[in-house]
Amino acid sequence: MSTPDRPGANQAVAPDSPDRPSRRWPRWALRITSTAAAVLLFDQAIFAGSFLSGSYGALLTHEDNARFAAIATLLTLVSSILVAGVGKGPRWPIVAASGLFVLVGLQIVLGYTGMVALHVPVGVATIVVAVVTTVWTWRRV
Amino acid sequence: MSARVTRRGFVAIGVGAGVAAGVGVPLVLTGTGATSTGESAKSASRPVPLFARAMHVPPVLAPSRMDASTDYYEISQEVALAEILEGPKTEIWGYNGMFPGPTIESRRGRRSVVTHTNNLPVPTVVHLHGGHTPAESDGYPLDLVFPIDRSYMNMHARTSAHDGSSADHLVAGDTSEGSRSYTYPLEQRAAQLWYHDHRMDFTGPSVWRGLAGFHIVRDEEEDALQLPSGDHELPLMITDRAFDSNNQLTYPSVDPSLLGTPGVRAEYVGGVLGDVMLVNGTAWPFLDVDRASYRLRILNACNARRLDIRLDPPDADLTQIGSDGGLLATPIRHQHFELASAQRVDLIVDFSKYKPGTRVTLVNAYGDGDMGKILQFRVGERSQPAYEIPDRLSSISPLVPANREPDRTMRFLAGNVNGSHGWVVNGLPFSPHTVSAAVSRGTVEVWRLISDFYHPVHLHLNPFQVISRGGGPPGVFDAGWKDTIDLRPYEEATIATRFDGSPGKYVFHCHNLEHEDMAMMANFTIS
Repeated sequence: MSTPDRPGANQAVAPDSPDRPSRRWPRWALRITSTAAAVLLFDQAIFAGSFLSGSYGALLTHEDNARFAAIATLLTLVSSILVAGVGKGPRWPIVAASGLFVLVGLQIVLGYTGMVALHVPVGVATIVVAVVTTVWTWRRV
Repeated sequence: MSARVTRRGFVAIGVGAGVAAGVGVPLVLTGTGATSTGESAKSASRPVPLFARAMHVPPVLAPSRMDASTDYYEISQEVALAEILEGPKTEIWGYNGMFPGPTIESRRGRRSVVTHTNNLPVPTVVHLHGGHTPAESDGYPLDLVFPIDRSYMNMHARTSAHDGSSADHLVAGDTSEGSRSYTYPLEQRAAQLWYHDHRMDFTGPSVWRGLAGFHIVRDEEEDALQLPSGDHELPLMITDRAFDSNNQLTYPSVDPSLLGTPGVRAEYVGGVLGDVMLVNGTAWPFLDVDRASYRLRILNACNARRLDIRLDPPDADLTQIGSDGGLLATPIRHQHFELASAQRVDLIVDFSKYKPGTRVTLVNAYGDGDMGKILQFRVGERSQPAYEIPDRLSSISPLVPANREPDRTMRFLAGNVNGSHGWVVNGLPFSPHTVSAAVSRGTVEVWRLISDFYHPVHLHLNPFQVISRGGGPPGVFDAGWKDTIDLRPYEEATIATRFDGSPGKYVFHCHNLEHEDMAMMANFTIS
């Protein structure tokens, strides 16, 4: 479709081909979903610390929040695909978001089966990957 | 150009604020952790004035009959009205219609036979907590005493059970119709025991409704110390409860009939805390005391709440002379004392340290707001010389060397019980058919206990000694003979027990009563 009804869009996409302009919004979607995922994943450590100190409610919150974090990670993966596609951006976010999604899935399995000895180190790794990915989405996309 | 910078700044501030809120809010809300595992039920009753009503001490029950070796008692378990709060009376389930029930006092080695008659709507089981009692009178959770009037039971058919075996396991126990005589040999040290309901799946709501009382054992060793007695010996049963707008007890049972599905609603699976503090069945009472030494025999009978007891102002020490299993070897001076559910502490407090007219509050440093207060002592004019606490109270020899390796490991963890959140011991929910430890009579065993949340672990039949906690020596509140240990989150402790007593099957369990009802219980046998 043509772009005249979107003032400013032309300038933003000017360096690319005028036929199939690249879009900026997938980059913003990636930044926001990735940031949200990183925050929710870091919150998992907060809730874990709380139930480790005796709060049973925090264990239930840790379980609930795992679902929200998984959803945010899935949306990050979708955004990363859009960045590479309609955004004509880099492909590395797809690799990072896929890796993160696998880690979160693994964490849910490890958590529900009570394999704490693996759950904790994989959790630390998950948060590291999420934070590094998020910083890159703000600087390198 | 400057507009661009401003926009970028906006974005940075927005994202920064979002991240700060996303991390900061959970940190502030949950980052302080918890001092008890449980969720507070919210009362709808009118605000309860603090220290407005006098505390009472439960009456001592007279034997109905005595012979050369035995005292005989009769107790009727019944629905009654109690004055817990100002205003409308509260319906309770009480031993002889009282909450707490009447106190039984026994001499060491003199048998008590207590005949309980069930005039309540549901089955009951009586357990003498801390009693060295043969299996047939220990109140095994399936040894039900059925009500005299079964009409309520007949209205509500039981629908489920922890082990998925439907209702058939109900008849597995040694049941009785209407009443049962429990025989307590009481061949044990002087100690503050307590009796309470112990029915499988429904102990929490039954105790919450009032089924708990003291049973005090005395002996010559204790007599010789001439401890403060009479009005100066105060058994204090501390319980937290919640009430509706009509002053009636509320408890978040899944099935309020207490005959079907066990357990509490999901948010209370960690335990049920109350928001009104009772001492001997009166909300936030006061007590007039002399300027003299008192013996405070405190029981934490809360379903799930841990207490950290202090005096405010703290002029007098809390001098501990005893624990669950009776006198310590030597007194220990404390400024505060942590007490988990079912634990007892025997304290000497010298109120002559305070000026006449001082109001001394027994506080709970683990409570927020009013739950941080328990009882107010009003110090009078009358003065008596302070009790001189002897340096030696009793003798306790260690059961095992401190470095002995554990014989068994028992893990008390959250787990799946019939597809729901619950609590398990070594991965298994309670079943009357599973034996976790088969022990030969007279054997001393060291058990390693491992927890995830706060779990006050209680062994029936025999007291134990705490050998280690967290890989180090026992804690300052672990001294003497215990029957309940306050395991903290992700803590490991070892305890040593001599498995004396009559052959049979007994339970050990978490004494957070919601954890117990949601299957954190297991069997040991003595052969």
